[in-house]
Amino acid sequence: MSAGDAGLVNQKYALLPAFLQAKGLIRQHVSSFNHFIASDLLKIIKAKGNERVTCDADPNFYLRYTNIYVGRPSLEEDYIQTELTPNQCRLRDQTYSAPISVDVEYTRGKEVVIRKGKSGAGAILIGRMPIMLRSDRCVLTGKSEEELAWVGECPLDPGGYFVVKGTEKVILIQEQLSKNRIIIDTGTPALAARHSHGAVVASVTSSTHERKSKTNIVSKHNRLMLKHNAFTEDVNIVIVMRAMGVESDEEVLQLVGTEGPFASLLTPTLQHCKEEGVYTRQQALDYLAGKVKGSGRPASPAGGGGFTRRTRSRVDEARDILANVVLCHVPVVQFDYQQKVTYIAVMVRRMLYAKLDPSFIDDRDYYGNKRLELAGGLLALLFEDLFKRMNADLKRQADSSLSKANRATQFDIAKCIRTDTITFGLEHAISSGNWTIKRFRMERKGVTQVLSRLSFISAVGMMTRITSQFEKTRKVSGPRALQPSQWGMLCPADTPEGESCGLVKNLALMTHVTTDEEEAPIARLAHIMGVEPASLVNQSELRERGCALVFLNGNILGVHRRPKYFVRSFREMRRRGRVGEFVSVYMQHDTVQIASDGGRVCRPLIICDRGVPRVKDEHLQLLRMGKWNFNSFLHSGLLEYLDVNEENNSLVALYEADCGPRVTHLEIEPFTILGVVAGLIPFPHHNQSPRNTYQCAMGKQAMGNVAFNQLNRMDTLLYLLCYPQRPLLTTKTIELVGFDRLGAGQNATVAVMSYSGYDIEDAIVMNRASLDRGFGRCIVLRKYGTSLKKYANRTQDRIVLPAAAVGPASAPRPAKFRVLDRDGIAAAGEVLTQGEILVNKQMPTNTRDPVSNPAAMPDTFYRNAPVSWKGYTGGEKCVVDKVLLTSNDDCSCVVKVLVRHTRRPELGDKFSSRHGQKGVVGSIWSQSDMPFSERGLVPDLIMNPHGFPSRMTVGKMIELLGSKAAVCTGRFHYGTAFGEPAGLADKVESISQELVEAGYSYSGKDFLHSGITGEALEAHIFMGPVYYQKLKHMVLDKMHARARGPRVVLTRQPTEGRSRDGGLRLGEMERDCLIGYGASMLLLERLMISSDQFEVQVCTHCGLMGYKRHDGLAVCPLLRSPEHIASLRIPYAAKLLFQELQSMNIVPKLLLAEA
Amino acid sequence: MQGTAGYGAPAPTGPVQVAYICGDCGAENTLKPGDVIRCRECGYRILYKKRTKRVVQYEARW
Repeated sequence: MSAGDAGLVNQKYALLPAFLQAKGLIRQHVSSFNHFIASDLLKIIKAKGNERVTCDADPNFYLRYTNIYVGRPSLEEDYIQTELTPNQCRLRDQTYSAPISVDVEYTRGKEVVIRKGKSGAGAILIGRMPIMLRSDRCVLTGKSEEELAWVGECPLDPGGYFVVKGTEKVILIQEQLSKNRIIIDTGTPALAARHSHGAVVASVTSSTHERKSKTNIVSKHNRLMLKHNAFTEDVNIVIVMRAMGVESDEEVLQLVGTEGPFASLLTPTLQHCKEEGVYTRQQALDYLAGKVKGSGRPASPAGGGGFTRRTRSRVDEARDILANVVLCHVPVVQFDYQQKVTYIAVMVRRMLYAKLDPSFIDDRDYYGNKRLELAGGLLALLFEDLFKRMNADLKRQADSSLSKANRATQFDIAKCIRTDTITFGLEHAISSGNWTIKRFRMERKGVTQVLSRLSFISAVGMMTRITSQFEKTRKVSGPRALQPSQWGMLCPADTPEGESCGLVKNLALMTHVTTDEEEAPIARLAHIMGVEPASLVNQSELRERGCALVFLNGNILGVHRRPKYFVRSFREMRRRGRVGEFVSVYMQHDTVQIASDGGRVCRPLIICDRGVPRVKDEHLQLLRMGKWNFNSFLHSGLLEYLDVNEENNSLVALYEADCGPRVTHLEIEPFTILGVVAGLIPFPHHNQSPRNTYQCAMGKQAMGNVAFNQLNRMDTLLYLLCYPQRPLLTTKTIELVGFDRLGAGQNATVAVMSYSGYDIEDAIVMNRASLDRGFGRCIVLRKYGTSLKKYANRTQDRIVLPAAAVGPASAPRPAKFRVLDRDGIAAAGEVLTQGEILVNKQMPTNTRDPVSNPAAMPDTFYRNAPVSWKGYTGGEKCVVDKVLLTSNDDCSCVVKVLVRHTRRPELGDKFSSRHGQKGVVGSIWSQSDMPFSERGLVPDLIMNPHGFPSRMTVGKMIELLGSKAAVCTGRFHYGTAFGEPAGLADKVESISQELVEAGYSYSGKDFLHSGITGEALEAHIFMGPVYYQKLKHMVLDKMHARARGPRVVLTRQPTEGRSRDGGLRLGEMERDCLIGYGASMLLLERLMISSDQFEVQVCTHCGLMGYKRHDGLAVCPLLRSPEHIASLRIPYAAKLLFQELQSMNIVPKLLLAEA
Repeated sequence: MQGTAGYGAPAPTGPVQVAYICGDCGAENTLKPGDVIRCRECGYRILYKKRTKRVVQYEARW
């Protein structure tokens, strides 16, 4: 590497902040939503089935949508239009949404009415669209930090979520197999076993706006068969082709390919076709008509001579299925099957190739075969469904109104448009996460999730999350494994452990997800560049040497005679900006594929010419001076986006030094293969990989700052750290994400040593003085809310100060009303004790029958429904932090009370460093008992060295060293992943140098004295600052014990769970132990006496349980006499079982024996 | 009770007025039971309760 190149290596990092500045941290969601609002909506209302609403009763009637608009988020209250802000919606439990309006043209009586809106809004409101934060329509976009502060929003909040009914909802990214692409697969394992000679299946999931269908070509007894839902059984592929108009075998062969062994491989299929007696197109259609599903019993050839009307219609049906259902994404215009036949031939050809050479079999898990569905796409599906439903409603109304002969007023359809269908449909889907789309029979649950606001990172991490549609129970490892093609696109570290491991993934830092792009201009350009339509080329020419089929989004576009040249020049067109930057071209086998569809993952790379990067020093200079931004690099053809498939056609160098002559691209920065959450880890490349995965899970549980507006928020539960710090050892990702401004942890001085036994098994010994100074101190804010409802009989809930508490403030009042103000609501600043009432709400006893004067009902008409505070066990103080009053969408009053609790760490609280090393507080010692150094340095916490050998978290050791050097030099040190060559991470050697200069040992070890004896410790102790996170799992929230307590009414057994003060269950396995040991009396005590012992009276004669008579004597239910009655203790649950059985006419009898 | 937003039916104990602070302009508002929750100065619909007038003592050591 020459000296000039070395400059670039260090500077090309500057492209990354430029990229994030231009695109934002969660650009995928925002751009997908913007695309939906800007172009998808219009496409939906202009679609064939949606644009016009007609009426059966009046042929002249129509309603046509001419345009659609989405306004700014606003709300009309009391006939005043006010702008909505997201924070206002959060506080008021409203939906952050904007009006959707349309321009229409319709008939009213005889006249045609054209209605157009003005100033960017349509004439008629059709509903409200929830608006994604920071999208084009959001009020927050383009605002400066100060302006954001004015609307109560955090400048670091990435947006990309929705606020629906006051809760923040994220539409998770969904991963699926790509649509409209041929995938050659080995089929199901069972199928593969039956046909040992390579059971290959070519499958295509076709998806258009109207229809979804799956088409398979399978090989059965060496015959190629078409497998499709529309047919009752598999049909010979040659017969299908024949039905599409390919009548001669020669033509079939020419389409598939005459070279090599194709002819012999196709022979069995052709022969079968002959055996079935299908020679002509008509015969083929007749044959297929017999196999069409749902058309009654198959037509027998003996059924009738010639064509009856019925068979003709069935032939039409078969023809229709071939045209519109089988491979429905391939267009068939006026029954010209040319394209579809070629497509089938390509499928067959690729299948035969795969039969000959297994390397042609596609990998389903290959990421180029995946598409990500984002908020925009999912909302588009939902919106179209709701829009169709609204139109169907309109049509129904028009039908019923116009079919009546005489009407008092003229029917005006514009007055019938209801906004609820769309508004509530969208709102409900986002708030519940149930995506039900009737036309595709799609029913997905859990599409949306509540945005986790545990910490800033957990919120950002949620936006990059990808879930796949695979069921979690499947044992196959393929979809879970890390695919090499995910390099740079998905974070290799950030995935949960356990059942969804590998199925839930996260995007890497620079990944972008494409949105749909218009096909027509691309097709036009391709034709200009020499792509000949397939229909104009002779079939045998198609396979000529050097020729290649050109596909656009899975559809055949034509043939090009010089494919390599075509691909090269097409790429150059993209670099010049003649084609969209996200359009990809690549060679796959002997075809050229152009992709412009949405949902492909891609990332930017530096373009290299014969191994020389196009980005030069002068360009970066311009960037530094602020004259260029990221887009300038794109538009100047220095950078380009590559998707997974195109990456496969290129050779990407990791470092500039690796740039050989064949290299086509250069990585911008290697650490961008990690995601946002993994980017917080310093020196992750020195850790064992599972440790990084563990940290990714734990980083989301760390307490810290949530957002700049955290104290203005009213979340149900919010964990905050009192004194958060930024890490001494940072990474570039931390700076880019803004973690250094919203930290979630503190730099603790850690001594790695064994001191007492309270640090074994990952426990931590803590310094009490550090806790006094505020280490790990946190605030827990919990919301208690209620709303006042109005009822049908005009009564409503009310909040009052109870009569018992009214009087002078000095007068004694019942304890539970202590904190209530004169309005019946607790005042801010009050210290709470257990059981005190926060909001003294009362509900009317009668909410149905009419009440004479609902506004002034006497007290007796109300019953209490207070919001009271259930305190913590242990005497810690909680304080009413804030009380908010507002009204929500249904204009009922909402009261929210925020209760604050400040906690300091206690025994058993969970802490973790950034290297997947979690531990609980094992003991808290006073500072005087802690070890100290010659300089008087005392550690904040002591960690056991046994945590290192098996975990192999070398990164943590380097972090300790680096942080120590950072403290000494006053300079924040860096530990960016793979950052040493580029100078983004400090090297151990230089850190050691700095330590020595500061008077410490190069190794980071210090000479310590025991705090207990004052003697010098024999070993030198590895000590220095490490960034520690306090995790949300705290003892106070989990602590639970019970001797006696509540029981379930039905079974009289102890309740379950901490929240109900439940018992501790002696489970089946524990029971087994006691049985094995023979401790029968203990078993009896645990399972009956301490649980649900019950005394029953049993008749020794009939074995039935008796009951108490009026005189208090127990009698047998049959004999009605108190004789032969024995008293017996059994579990109440057993007694209940007997009675339940009796109610089912089964009589259990208790046969007693003398004990 | 003409307003769109109710604040409960009036209590039988006579009109009690409690002061609230507007979340937008900071103006002090008094609300009677049954009033619309809305700032009289700026029309903002989020109001906060004022801090208690009672003397409260916090333990600073904990």
